[in-house]
Amino acid sequence: MKQIITLKVNGELRDAAISVNKTLLEVLREDLGLTGTKKGCDHGECGACTVLVNGIPTSSCLTLAVTCQGKDIMTIESLASIDKLHPLQEAFINHGAIQCGFCTPGMLLVAKTLLDEDPHPDREKITASIAGNICRCTGYVKIIEAIEAVAAQTP
Amino acid sequence: MNDHRVVGKGLPRIDGPEKATGKAVFTVDVELKGMLHGKILRSPYPHARIISIDTSEAEKLPGVKAIMTGKDTSGVRYAFVDTPRYPADETPLAVDKVRYIGDEVAAVAAISEEIAEEALRLIKVEYEILPAVFTPEEAMKPEAPVIHDAPMEGTSAWEEWGAATKTRSYEKESPHNNLNAYTSYSIGNIEKGFASADYIREDRFTTKGTAHCAMEPHAAVASYDPIEDKLDMWLSTMGIFLKRFNLSKALRLPISKVRVRHSYCGGAFGGKIDAFPYEYCAAYLSMKTGKPVRIELTREECFMTTRQRHPIIVDIKTGITKDGKIVAQDVKVIADSGGYRGSGAIVVFLCHGFSFPVYDIPNYRYEGFGVYTNNPIRGPQRGHGAPQVRFAIDSQLDLIARENGLDPVELMLKNVRHKGDRLPNGDVLQSCGLTECITGAANAVNWQQNRNNPGAGRKKRGVGISASAMFSGAMYYPFASAAMVKMHDDGTATLYTGSQEIGQGCYTTLAQVLAEELGIGLEDVRVVAGDTELTPIDIGSFLSGGALVTGNAVKLAAADAKKQLFEVAAESFNVPIEDLEARDKRIFVRNDESKTMPFAKAVQLSVFRRNGNPVIGTGSYKGNPETDRYPSLAKAKGLFTPAYGFSVQAAEVEVDTETGEFRLVRVANFHDCGFPLNKTIVEGQVEGCTSMGQGQAMLEEIVLENGQLFSSNFLDYKLPLATETPEIIDGLVSTIEPNGPFGAKEVGEGALAGMLAAIANAVHDATGVRVRETPVTPEKILADLEKLAKSSS
Repeated sequence: MKQIITLKVNGELRDAAISVNKTLLEVLREDLGLTGTKKGCDHGECGACTVLVNGIPTSSCLTLAVTCQGKDIMTIESLASIDKLHPLQEAFINHGAIQCGFCTPGMLLVAKTLLDEDPHPDREKITASIAGNICRCTGYVKIIEAIEAVAAQTP
Repeated sequence: MNDHRVVGKGLPRIDGPEKATGKAVFTVDVELKGMLHGKILRSPYPHARIISIDTSEAEKLPGVKAIMTGKDTSGVRYAFVDTPRYPADETPLAVDKVRYIGDEVAAVAAISEEIAEEALRLIKVEYEILPAVFTPEEAMKPEAPVIHDAPMEGTSAWEEWGAATKTRSYEKESPHNNLNAYTSYSIGNIEKGFASADYIREDRFTTKGTAHCAMEPHAAVASYDPIEDKLDMWLSTMGIFLKRFNLSKALRLPISKVRVRHSYCGGAFGGKIDAFPYEYCAAYLSMKTGKPVRIELTREECFMTTRQRHPIIVDIKTGITKDGKIVAQDVKVIADSGGYRGSGAIVVFLCHGFSFPVYDIPNYRYEGFGVYTNNPIRGPQRGHGAPQVRFAIDSQLDLIARENGLDPVELMLKNVRHKGDRLPNGDVLQSCGLTECITGAANAVNWQQNRNNPGAGRKKRGVGISASAMFSGAMYYPFASAAMVKMHDDGTATLYTGSQEIGQGCYTTLAQVLAEELGIGLEDVRVVAGDTELTPIDIGSFLSGGALVTGNAVKLAAADAKKQLFEVAAESFNVPIEDLEARDKRIFVRNDESKTMPFAKAVQLSVFRRNGNPVIGTGSYKGNPETDRYPSLAKAKGLFTPAYGFSVQAAEVEVDTETGEFRLVRVANFHDCGFPLNKTIVEGQVEGCTSMGQGQAMLEEIVLENGQLFSSNFLDYKLPLATETPEIIDGLVSTIEPNGPFGAKEVGEGALAGMLAAIANAVHDATGVRVRETPVTPEKILADLEKLAKSSS
């Protein structure tokens, strides 16, 4: 039994006919074609599926899509503008904070939220903010440095 | 070396923008029209005979398109290792028995994952439960249940590549039960060596299984065209050509009818090169239905069935003289391979091969046993044997130093190998920065001040150190890499390589090699990679051969393209070709600034004057040109690798002696990678190794009870989080390896291997507690602290 829902994703209203037990992650990836959001564990443990719901980092694998109607959903696909990367994306690339890239979308959205709330976080606050996002490749050092670099550029 | 324009710089990786914007397509993102979804039914028992399988109810479920059992794939065998001595022992689906919890029993393709899952629940399997065995030492006993009953028959997949055809039974060499691999090796005279020693000690060290935890789960998409009898596969893998070889053998398709493509791969760490049943099941289901089939494993399945690092028991006896020279070492390794051989035959070879290049020991004996148990299958993982055996060797060396009042660093320096040393198998260390790595790492943690200086308070500090070695590629199928450089009208170039980006940044480093050699910028290079139809062969992104083997192929291909451009220019300028040089996409005549030609013009002239030749450079490279055989896994003979990367890890820890809790304060990780082709990428590899090594030394453990996995998610299997990041000091020791492109060799595996002993030794330095089994946990430290306190009171 499918239900038609309307989600506001990256500023656009999108309709999808879905089973009510579908997660936001599944709807984003399977129904809306937004595969930038990744499934790492499907249990809310790794952070790869993080999207912003009303500006709050949210595990989309633990969120039912039907509960997100009327909310603002932001995925990695809208972090850059049409022709310009977000400063965090630039910094991640330039500081070697990306290796395999699978945790990157979730990591970037968490970092964006952090810097939106506090443009000059200290190192402890940065590491605490990304502690829910597992990166197996980098050992986190260059991710932390990239976020610090963006903070340092911000007046 | 300082006049390099492109290599050696920490340039941003070329796949960065795609990955940062979510546009990068990983295997899990591949979607084909009409694609079905596959699921696999797995054994709930560690050891059982299959009496019957009834799929009739499942077949009736609407939406189910195909169901397979072992009957459909009967007779098909494959394995990561498939040699006359070690014939393949795996089947896509269980035929007669299941041998571990998670073993594949049946596979379903349906129009959705949910329906496929429901169908699994409708399949009825009747088992006869058999006695099982869960430790290798128990399994080796004569009375232990036999896990693989009949010896495997048939020919080796590698036969046509020159592998010997006669089977040499390893069972006769070492008559233990459930043995699946045996390596033995010795040099000098071990008895005489120990007789000449002033001090001898014997220890046992053990390591637990660990998981790779690549963030992208394992996935395969298979698309078979029944009209053309062609199979197209997308795999999250580290070696498309090895995968194609194994798939074509098992599926009995001509190799040219199998095409393997590589999408971006969300991490591998050794865990995506073994041959996996889900890949074969996807292919079979697609062949059966004529539709594309996608199988993505759940995280639990990844933990359970996609191989783990071998838990290993190391018995080690070492003798030294008064002045600290190691004169004899006897190493015995027992690796628990699980229900199938996996990489068992390789790991018992590599525990020797990755370790022996570190210290120069005149009298040495090594024995390695791979043993079947009813645990999950074990396969390659970053360093593949090195972390386990280096944990034993350098933990013991630290103990020897303490007992004899010696400094472990001095002991290491006294025994390490040097540039120019020839190993007994014939490998020559044409570059070796071990000494620089040891002194560099020790100095970076203030070794002299911090050693034996735990402090007076409740929290004690300590330092520890360990070293390791790693191949830069080896003679493994397809044995070599080739590359093509296609020039464009505007003087830029496209690189065609069979190499695969798995996070290690190979597209960027290989493009840098091309750009440097040809005389263009990194921004002038595009990379086409990872497709067995589009690109030339590549040894794959495992055994750490990417930089040296593929790098050399790319450098030669770029040099070939440059030579063709120079020939055109030399004719035009009427100068000898030797007078030409290239930079900034232009050709210059040395000492005559008036004569210069853009590459674009040279390409045009080549088309006009050389019968339409648009300038395509080709190059190929085989790591060990002297040999056409892979080394003997059993006898450890033959050349192993063209160059060894070396690394040394020094760790500083702080231990709370009231609770046993401890944290990793600082790590100095010094790596001799020959020459860092891209400084940022090399640092990234070293830091990643540090973090993974930290996890495996302190946190990570595959917990099994009677073969049942108890750590199958990221809550129960703990790996390092951002908040646990220590201060990491990367030391890049440049030694310029003559065999490597611009001097480059391995980086990315070895820098993990010393972390285990470095941390265990640091804990000992802080507290006097010696932990002989990884992971080193607060519980183990506290238990020992209490024992120490009792014995001193």
